Amino acid sequence: VAEAPVARSPIAPAAPVTVEHGWEISARRTGASLRIMDCTPLAKVLVHACADGEVARILAVPFGRMARDEHETLVVGSGPGEWLLLAPPGAAQAVIRRVEEMPDEGLVSVFGATHGRALMRITGARAADLLSKVCGVALSEKVTPDGAAFRSSVAKLVTDVVRDDQDGVLSYLLHCERSSGQYLFDALIDAGDEFGIEVEGFVAPPMRGVSG
Amino acid sequence: LTPSEPRISKHSMSMRLGLQPGEVIDRKRRFRFTWNGEAYPAYEGDTIVSALAACGERVFSRSFKYHRPRGLLTASFLDPGCVVRVGDEPNVRGAHRRVEPGMVVSPQNAWPSLRFDAKSANGALGRFLSAGFYYKTFIRPRRLWPVYRRVLRRFSAGGVVSPNSPHGYFDKRYAHPDVVVAGGGPAGMAAAVAAAEAGAQVLLVEEEYELGGHLRWGNEVDLAALRELRGEVESTSGIEVMTDSVVTGRYDGNWVAVLQRNLPHVVERLIKARAKTLVVAPGLIERPYVFEGNDTHGVVLSSAARRLINLYAVRPGERAVVFSANESGDAAVEDLERIGVEVARVVDARRGGDILRVSGGSKGVHYVECADGTKVECDLLVTAVGWTAPTSLLNMAGDRPVYNESAARFFPSKLPDDVLAAGGLVGDGMLDEQLAHARAVGSEAARRAALTARTLLAGVPQRTEQGAGEQEEPESAPVKIPELPVNDHPALFYGRTDGIVDYSEDVTSKDLHAAKKEGYDSIELAKRYTTATMGPAQGKLETVNAVAIMAAATGSSIEETGTTVWRPPYSPITLGALAGRIFEPVRYSPMQPWHERRGAKPLVAGAWIRPDHYGDPASEVLNVRENVGLIDVTPLGKFDLRGPDVPKLLNLLYVNKWSTLDVGAVRYGVMCLEDGVVFDDGVTGRLAPDRYIMTTTSSGAASVSEWIDNWLQTAHPEWRIHVTPVTTAYASINVAGPKSRELLLRLTEGVDLSPGAFPYMRVRTGRIAGVDDCFMWRIGFTGELSYEVHVPAAYGLHAWKALMDRGADLGVAPFGVEAQRILRLEKGHLIVGQDTDGLTGAYGAGLDWAVKLDKDDFAGKPELVWQSERDEYHRLVGLQPQDGSVVPPEASQIVEGKNKIVGRITSSRMSPTLGRSICLGMVAPHLARAGTTVTVHLPDEKRIPARVMEHHAHFDPEGVRQRG
Repeated sequence: VAEAPVARSPIAPAAPVTVEHGWEISARRTGASLRIMDCTPLAKVLVHACADGEVARILAVPFGRMARDEHETLVVGSGPGEWLLLAPPGAAQAVIRRVEEMPDEGLVSVFGATHGRALMRITGARAADLLSKVCGVALSEKVTPDGAAFRSSVAKLVTDVVRDDQDGVLSYLLHCERSSGQYLFDALIDAGDEFGIEVEGFVAPPMRGVSG
Repeated sequence: LTPSEPRISKHSMSMRLGLQPGEVIDRKRRFRFTWNGEAYPAYEGDTIVSALAACGERVFSRSFKYHRPRGLLTASFLDPGCVVRVGDEPNVRGAHRRVEPGMVVSPQNAWPSLRFDAKSANGALGRFLSAGFYYKTFIRPRRLWPVYRRVLRRFSAGGVVSPNSPHGYFDKRYAHPDVVVAGGGPAGMAAAVAAAEAGAQVLLVEEEYELGGHLRWGNEVDLAALRELRGEVESTSGIEVMTDSVVTGRYDGNWVAVLQRNLPHVVERLIKARAKTLVVAPGLIERPYVFEGNDTHGVVLSSAARRLINLYAVRPGERAVVFSANESGDAAVEDLERIGVEVARVVDARRGGDILRVSGGSKGVHYVECADGTKVECDLLVTAVGWTAPTSLLNMAGDRPVYNESAARFFPSKLPDDVLAAGGLVGDGMLDEQLAHARAVGSEAARRAALTARTLLAGVPQRTEQGAGEQEEPESAPVKIPELPVNDHPALFYGRTDGIVDYSEDVTSKDLHAAKKEGYDSIELAKRYTTATMGPAQGKLETVNAVAIMAAATGSSIEETGTTVWRPPYSPITLGALAGRIFEPVRYSPMQPWHERRGAKPLVAGAWIRPDHYGDPASEVLNVRENVGLIDVTPLGKFDLRGPDVPKLLNLLYVNKWSTLDVGAVRYGVMCLEDGVVFDDGVTGRLAPDRYIMTTTSSGAASVSEWIDNWLQTAHPEWRIHVTPVTTAYASINVAGPKSRELLLRLTEGVDLSPGAFPYMRVRTGRIAGVDDCFMWRIGFTGELSYEVHVPAAYGLHAWKALMDRGADLGVAPFGVEAQRILRLEKGHLIVGQDTDGLTGAYGAGLDWAVKLDKDDFAGKPELVWQSERDEYHRLVGLQPQDGSVVPPEASQIVEGKNKIVGRITSSRMSPTLGRSICLGMVAPHLARAGTTVTVHLPDEKRIPARVMEHHAHFDPEGVRQRG
């Protein structure tokens, strides 16, 4: 009926722009020590279930923590009885199916949130310094070690923050509702300017080599 | 030379000394800057004032009230005589700010020039300008106050802020150190090292550009100790050092504000540090002596003379008198003699010596008259009469310092557990004693911080599984902190003649005595009456002297007189630093790039940026009535509701019934608060047996979300419901107009759009423009056949473009919020918050038909039952002015008789469809009957008649068009 649909992130892609996995993305590459990447194309699935039910036991990630499951899906305990699952682009249906097949006598809701949320990652040794300019949460090893997840105000915007170090380098995933994605991306670049932040194009899947 | 540097300088560094052991200037980096319109040389590391002093300049400003020439006093940030203008930045601390190549520095508070200041005539009127002059003189007649104000503003000494100044980059940072050490002198450094060695993360904050405090301008022994301490700080991990920064306040919970300056990317940064322990180690501030002529330029504190000599290699004068009561004065004598300044006389206060007055003029000090009657010619008087303990941060922590008579200064009394003090604030003693004390304080600060951290970490979610393997360390015993000795010091505050007490405000000892005579016998009252301690130095130089003078005036002791209260900020903060970055989250729909390209006029609707119109709202309305239009309605609040108990929730939230909503059906609902006031409205559709989508108004989405959470978490936690806000998960497009079905037929798969299969108020799911997982419902806010299409948001722009492309031959065009408002007004649909207010109940809004009082319960039911039994509320009605060319502005009053207000216009527009003005309005019950004529009072005082209509709808009241 119409030309093949192309999915678009709320964050304008930095040139050069290409289409991969059905998404319009930036193909920019940088060697900067502090980088920001728009990871919105990742599949995002929200799960609500009883905090002490069978789904919770299988997901095995408590509130405030993140881990990867055997499918390399990143499971974030984003709230009491609430999880965010992140997977490579296009994997949402498979993730939804897997969760729906989990036996649980309680009410379980699975919602494909890929299009409703913006997701970005900042990586680099100064990532915490950047975040400390826009977020009031303590980012020390003791309080928010690798694998910590929390919801906080970031540049006055409600944001889920997940610490997910990349090959030993400090890295944070930031997740907010879609319509403010460009705003948050711009605010992070503004805060990271003094540390030489640069935009890195999307690479799928960007999450690898990290254990929860 | 850089291009901005002045090329010619007639000034030379005539007062510059040879190399000094502790100097901070870099003689290899010489440059020029401009002062008062002339070029001056400087070295890197010079302050503005040290560079000028090196060239022999001695006057840098004019005083606040009397416009007396002022020079160096403290040679530090606090120096009241060195406030200058740099470029268009006023009130720069010239004795602190480092000079830069090409910097343009000018004096302020002087006219026409620093040398010949016409306002210095105030000095001759000094006896008429006593304390309270301002209040007494300008109080009457009151009608002249605007004139007074204009004149007084010309005498303001605060510099001028140019409205054209470029907006600087300011920001903030959050920090969570274990220990904040306020003060980077020897005690602060030792405390920081000890705390860090005990495992604490330490933030060490120093106001000067380098760590070291008074050791920096000390002798070889001091400099050796300084090197050692700096080495320890550098080699100890866990210490973040901030120089040219200041702790400006301590608040509840050890929330410590730090102002950081001199950053490469930021003008100033405010750091919000949540310290587990605060160590206050600011050192002591040398205080001036009050006597006649004490503000003559050439009268300096001993620490100022030593700073000039040892840090900046500047000769402070040629022939000096030193008035000394302590080792600092003695050390100044040594320094002066070492550099070849003739010390004409040392007046030793410890042996009963005193000075009476300084005689001077525009060229500074001429001679000093001593108490023994001798007059000593000189160009420099150095005073060393004692110290003020800057207890501000301790005061902010609740401490009330006590006066120690033998030491002639204040000391801390009782500190909270999370605040400790070190250094001269606590006591005296040799450097080794001070360092030992400070190290113990640092260790104890770390110990207390660890205890606090343990408590805090116990509250962090799910940290237990991480720390499960870790053995919790046993609680350590408190660190024994040694006592510091307190040395005797002569109580020298004021001499036998009157002089300046507050240099910033030109307040004299006479003023304080006069204040007492007029009844202001409390130090707090006298402070406010005279403004002593209220200038830029904020009491750090003058408070103790003012207290001592008030004590003498009232015949009480200093202890009985007490001090004024020190409040934040400790040091002035720019408004830019307080404001930081401007974070105002904005929200855009996926179609925003298209709207921008099409030239849509943006409308700020809460955080959303929406297209108000695309050039001609009236044409947009007519196109919807005749063809088909698209409007971006993504901001509509949307919630995904799942679970078997959703109908219970809907029945609770809405005033109408929901138990019978079939799969595939959509229903309009109205929400009321407990007081029956209309809170929000929208439609909810049932997509599957256990899945519903609820929509709310765009502005009400956040409130409805909280409302739902409140009910589910507090009243009905047992209900099996999951609620997910999905407002931005879908791009929402309203396709409206008689040709909307025809357009959608071209792009929709899997949905039968025929009227029989997809009637009004139904919902369907399917594929639109090649995008799966869309849903659409047939509703009619515009009054036309219309479909609200909800597309997974990442495909919103694709779907919008497809609809525009495929509907070209149907006359498809976008319409904005303004056209939508006209369309809905023609149709008589109310907007919650515009046609209702904080008092409008469901019946008043004309929503009687929706309220189902036979339901068991719902939010607002008791109040609505009460309302239903009365008819006393204003009602929303359709209104049409008799003269259809007049559009009464919204909020125009509806009046009765002379001026009795009986209603208001809530919405009004010129209807392009009807060619006349139309309104909705709220009117008193006796005016609500159809056919009644009401009077609308316009803002220009005209009154026009308007007729109450039978329906809210002005167009197609039967709904034939929207039912298709």
